[in-house]
Amino acid sequence: MIRSSAVSLALGYVALGIAALVLFAAPLWYAWQVTIQEGRAEILQADAQRLTDVFRRDGAAGLKNFIDTRVAMQIAGERILLLADSSMHPVAGNLSTWPKAVPAAPGNYTIQVEVADQGTQPALVHVAMVGNCNLLVGRFNTLFAPLQTRFWYGLTAAIAVLSIAGLLVGLITRRALMSRIHSIRQTVSAIMHGDLKHRLPTHLNDDELNTLSRTINGMLEQIELLVHGVRNVSNSIAHDLRTPLAELRSRLEELALIRPPPAETFAEVDGAVADVDRVIRIFDALLRLAEIDAGLRRSGFVPLDMADLASNAVEFYAPAAELKGIDLALLSDGAQSVSGDPVLLAQALGNLLDNALKYAPTNGTIKVAVRRRVDGTVEVSVSDNGQGIAESERVKVVERFYRGDASRGTPGVGLGLSLVQAVAKLHGSVLEFSDEAPGLRVTFTLPVDAAITAASSPPAPQSVEVEVVAPARLASS
Amino acid sequence: MKILLVEDNERVSQFVTKGLQEAGHTTDHAGNGRDGMFLAASEPYDVIIMDRMLPGEIDGLAIIEVLRKAGKRTPILILSALSEVDERIRGLRSGGDDYLTKPFAFGELLARLDALHRRAQGINAETPLIVGDLHMDPLTRKVTRGNRPIALQPREFKLLEYLMRHAGQVVTRTMLLENVWDYHFDPQTNVVDVHISKLRQKIDADFERPLLHTVRNAGYTVTAGD
Repeated sequence: MIRSSAVSLALGYVALGIAALVLFAAPLWYAWQVTIQEGRAEILQADAQRLTDVFRRDGAAGLKNFIDTRVAMQIAGERILLLADSSMHPVAGNLSTWPKAVPAAPGNYTIQVEVADQGTQPALVHVAMVGNCNLLVGRFNTLFAPLQTRFWYGLTAAIAVLSIAGLLVGLITRRALMSRIHSIRQTVSAIMHGDLKHRLPTHLNDDELNTLSRTINGMLEQIELLVHGVRNVSNSIAHDLRTPLAELRSRLEELALIRPPPAETFAEVDGAVADVDRVIRIFDALLRLAEIDAGLRRSGFVPLDMADLASNAVEFYAPAAELKGIDLALLSDGAQSVSGDPVLLAQALGNLLDNALKYAPTNGTIKVAVRRRVDGTVEVSVSDNGQGIAESERVKVVERFYRGDASRGTPGVGLGLSLVQAVAKLHGSVLEFSDEAPGLRVTFTLPVDAAITAASSPPAPQSVEVEVVAPARLASS
Repeated sequence: MKILLVEDNERVSQFVTKGLQEAGHTTDHAGNGRDGMFLAASEPYDVIIMDRMLPGEIDGLAIIEVLRKAGKRTPILILSALSEVDERIRGLRSGGDDYLTKPFAFGELLARLDALHRRAQGINAETPLIVGDLHMDPLTRKVTRGNRPIALQPREFKLLEYLMRHAGQVVTRTMLLENVWDYHFDPQTNVVDVHISKLRQKIDADFERPLLHTVRNAGYTVTAGD
């Protein structure tokens, strides 16, 4: 229990408290011992002086009478009065003998001794020479004894209360802390067993533990999202790879069973190879996605001219567009320097153009635009005048393996827009879909090349806009 | 061609060796890095096919680096299951000349080996290219067929130049995408085919004998022969 941080902390505070008490009591004790005793000694000396004055005025007999009167009047009480002759035999006073502890020597001094009266008690006595007699004036300490006792009791009680309270606070804190840690531990072990839905308990107050819990919860949120994503992808992979693999299997099995003539066999084998190629394409797309998601490609960022990249893509797709009677145009106002990954940006643009070409109507238009935005980023957009995608479907199209109704029966595996999305994300942007009425416009932005920003004023980031206009829905391919 | 295949997977090795033999090449096979290194360093080969991940202490990239440091200039094609762009760059930086991801189509492998071999034999970028009656002068950028000038767009010129430099060989769509457009992805639409048919319109349409042929399930070839 001492190892518990709460308890040891409390014990530390107790020790500190006791030290403070002792520091407070010690000077007090010193004052008691020195100052008050000195004061008492002075009083005794004054007493002795008064008796000496009586002796001077009235002689030895007068002093004896005075003392007798005083003793008779019982003024003495805790006081000691004794007059002894030169051989220390008592002459007057309330002590029957000269106390043994007081040296039987004439002189003028004050000492602390044990005096036997009714029982032996400590007393402060003053001895003085009066003529040839010895005068002893003293006071028992009994008057101050209760005070002294109370002081010690008080001090002890204070230390006891401090210690107990400290220990209690330590234990209570430990209990509270342990119960919170216990609940955290329970949550964590539940998470370790695979249930990622759990969250650490948090309170409204913002203490240290709470702040930590909140941070950890944020981390769990992210992990759950990632794991969920991975699970989704593996489910989709299982499904999407199973289908072509099942086709392939039955194709080969049938071939083995029927053993058709060579010409037919070769046709079937070609079909089987095509099935395998489809599986490989899905794998490649998934690996590329994983690669981008892992952020590994950020090292591939170089300064590049997005307008030039877009113009090459437009030029590459132009013959295919022409074949469909589609007008493919590039809108750009000159070179746009950005920082990005040329390989991935070319693929993203390619995927968007693939989609646009797939869904744009015959004699439709596709526009690729690269413009610098006011905020300095470069906007890339691809728009088409096709059917567009319904608002409700826009979230889904970037999901992996999602294929819109319009894409059924067309080639593609449903990863195209996921990849474009991932590329946009890698470049610090998100895909935006807007309605071209009719048609769809897909936009993402790119950060301006830092070197350009530094060189030109005003510094402005750049964005690239890619628009695809297609008659049918744009689906991920 | 004399080809060295360094590959530990037996089925892949058999498949490749058999295919290469049928294509008329002699093949040596090494099943691990040490044998591969020994053969590559001691025997003269036209092309080396190197698997990246090999059993034993030496992996494919290490062998390539050692060979290059020792001054061996034999063209090397790296075979790898690692498809990431960065891995590809690493492979080429270590001294490889081309990079092919597993699984691959045999036609793709063969086409790339031919291209590597042709490149290694040393081509003069300034020498006019001639296939049948089709002439191309890379310097003046003039293309003629049977004395008739043919006007080409810059990209069409590059496409034809690549095809003519590999005349008589099969050139795959992927090779065209990589070398003519520098694209490292597989477009969904048959864009390359469209470019080829446009080019065909320009160089073959008005002539009796076509020079640009489609090779089924593989790619294209420019050849004057049959």
